[in-house]
This record gives sequence, C-alpha cells and structure tokens, in this order.
Amino acid sequence: MKNTSITLVVAVVILMLVLFYIGGTVLVLESLNRAWHTAMRAFVMIIIAFIVIGQLQVLISSDMIKQWLDKYSGNKSIVVSSLAGGLFPGGPYIFYPFLASFKGKGIPFYLIFSFVAGKQSYDVTRLPLEAGLTTPGLAILRNLITFPFPFIMGFIARRYFPEGFNNFSQEEGNR
Amino acid sequence: MTLTIIIFSILAAVLFLINLRNGKHWDGIKSGFKQLVSALPIILLAMLLAGILETLIPEEFIKRWLSQEAGLTGIFLGTLGGLLMAFGPYASYPIIAIIYHSGAGLGTTIAMMAGWSFLNLVKLPFEGGFLGYKFSLLRIGLGLPLCVLAGLIAHLIEVLL
Repeated sequence: MKNTSITLVVAVVILMLVLFYIGGTVLVLESLNRAWHTAMRAFVMIIIAFIVIGQLQVLISSDMIKQWLDKYSGNKSIVVSSLAGGLFPGGPYIFYPFLASFKGKGIPFYLIFSFVAGKQSYDVTRLPLEAGLTTPGLAILRNLITFPFPFIMGFIARRYFPEGFNNFSQEEGNR
Repeated sequence: MTLTIIIFSILAAVLFLINLRNGKHWDGIKSGFKQLVSALPIILLAMLLAGILETLIPEEFIKRWLSQEAGLTGIFLGTLGGLLMAFGPYASYPIIAIIYHSGAGLGTTIAMMAGWSFLNLVKLPFEGGFLGYKFSLLRIGLGLPLCVLAGLIAHLIEVLL
C-alpha cells in the first residue's frame, strides 16, 4: 500500500508539472475538476463496496474454503477450486501463504493453479469496487466474458502440467 | 449507477443480516471501515491521476491507438496496459474508467481489465515467493492469449451491437 501511494504521488506530481508546462493553471484546474467529479460520482458506491467487503470477509473463512477443496476431484474439482478462489477473502499477503500451506499435502498442482486464476477473475470482494470505480456495465461484461477462463486454465494445467514443476512440491513445499 | 447502488445496498444489508445471526456483523463493519480508511488515500490519488490523464492524453492518441477503429492494435495495447498497470484495484479501476470514457474501444477496455485481473504484475512478488516463478510464468503465458481473446469478444460485441 505504501509503495503504491508513493508511486502515485510521484506520478501525480510529475504529470501536474507537465500539465502546468503545457497549459498553465487552466489545464491543472481542469484536471482537478475532472478528478473531483469522478470522486463525487463514485463516493457512495465506494462506501457501500467496503461494507460488502467487510461483511464477506467475516462470513467466508479459510477453513470453509479448505473443506471445499478437500471434497472434490477431477474436472469438477477445477470448477470448485476456481469458484472457491473467487470467494477467498483477503489480499495477496493472506492468499498466497494460505495456498503455500497446501503444497506437499497432496493437493494437485492444477487445483492450486485454478484457485489462483479463480481469485484473479471472480474475486467477490473486488467486484463491488470494479462496478463502482469503472461502470457496472463494464464490470458485468468483463466478468461474463472471462467467466470460463479459470476453468480453461485449470484444464490446460491438468492436461499438460499434471505434476506441476519439479520444484513445486519439493523445495518450495517445505517452505 | 443508481441501480448498482441499490443492488449493492441490498447485498450489504443481506450480508449484514446473515452475519447478525452469528453475532459477527460489527466485525464486518469494522473490517470494512478499516480497509476503507487504509485504501482511501490511494483511491483519491488514483482519481486525481485519472483526472490528469484524462486532461493530458490527446483525443487523437485515443482515436488512433485505443478506439474501436484501432481494432487488434487497441486490444494488444489494452492487454499490455493491464499487465503493466502495477497498481491495486483502488488505483487501476479509476484509470481504466477514464481511458474508456475518453473514447477507448470496448475491446481495448475489456482487454485492459482482463489483463489487469489475470496478468497483473503487482502480485508477482507474492506469487513468485510462495508458489515459484515458474508458476507465475505459466499463469502469464496462459492468461495472455485469453486476455486478447476477451478483448476480441468485446470488440465483436461492440461492432455487432
């Protein structure tokens, strides 16, 4: 988060200077005006989005996801794993250590792979933000078009990388 | 937007009521509020950046490289843009929205959103660290053509409808 803020501040300062150089104060004020309108448009949606995110995070636990993954096998498990990835709460600092805890415990590589793809595509805690900060239409269309992608990625991984990579279950599994 | 607000308000209320039964509703509110507070500076900075980009990027550039007329070039650039947009959702979505509203084609925009979702470099240090960099390479290798495909589908939808 801190690095993102610093990068954004640097980008904003540099681009503001460029704007000032090109069009003076008028152009700078125009950009501030546009930013203000965007912020006002999205404000209520942002508040609601974070209420939804908070409630989802206490509702869906890591244990619940773990139980689902243990229950299924084969192609069905790819679908379940992808969907479970989308439901998994928390950012990368929770998500990846959780996944790493599965390595070396007999969970097939393709399930971990489809789980990651599912998280990237369906992430339910990101959906309110996607709809609120872009437009609802774009968010729906993106989700509809990419809906089968995690399954496809899981099937390909199962077909061509059934064992994952040599170092997957060995050295990194002992992490 | 109003409809979205209504739908998500209902969703928030339903989730609140479900958690109320387990007595976890306030934990949810606290968790959401905590995240909002930590993300708000980034959201505001991203909106500021989006406003600047909207003013700065020439209309001609959007028309030539990112609009519906740009076709496959726009879709490739969109995918690449999504891959390289190394920010979280709070920063990336407002930027994508501004690019779309400035005249980028639907194919370009969806490719960018898909590229950001599937190929995003932000998670690479975590993913590589915990699951190995070969894992990340495979994810990016499989995701890249799919994101272009997503852009193509959206482009066709825009052209045909």
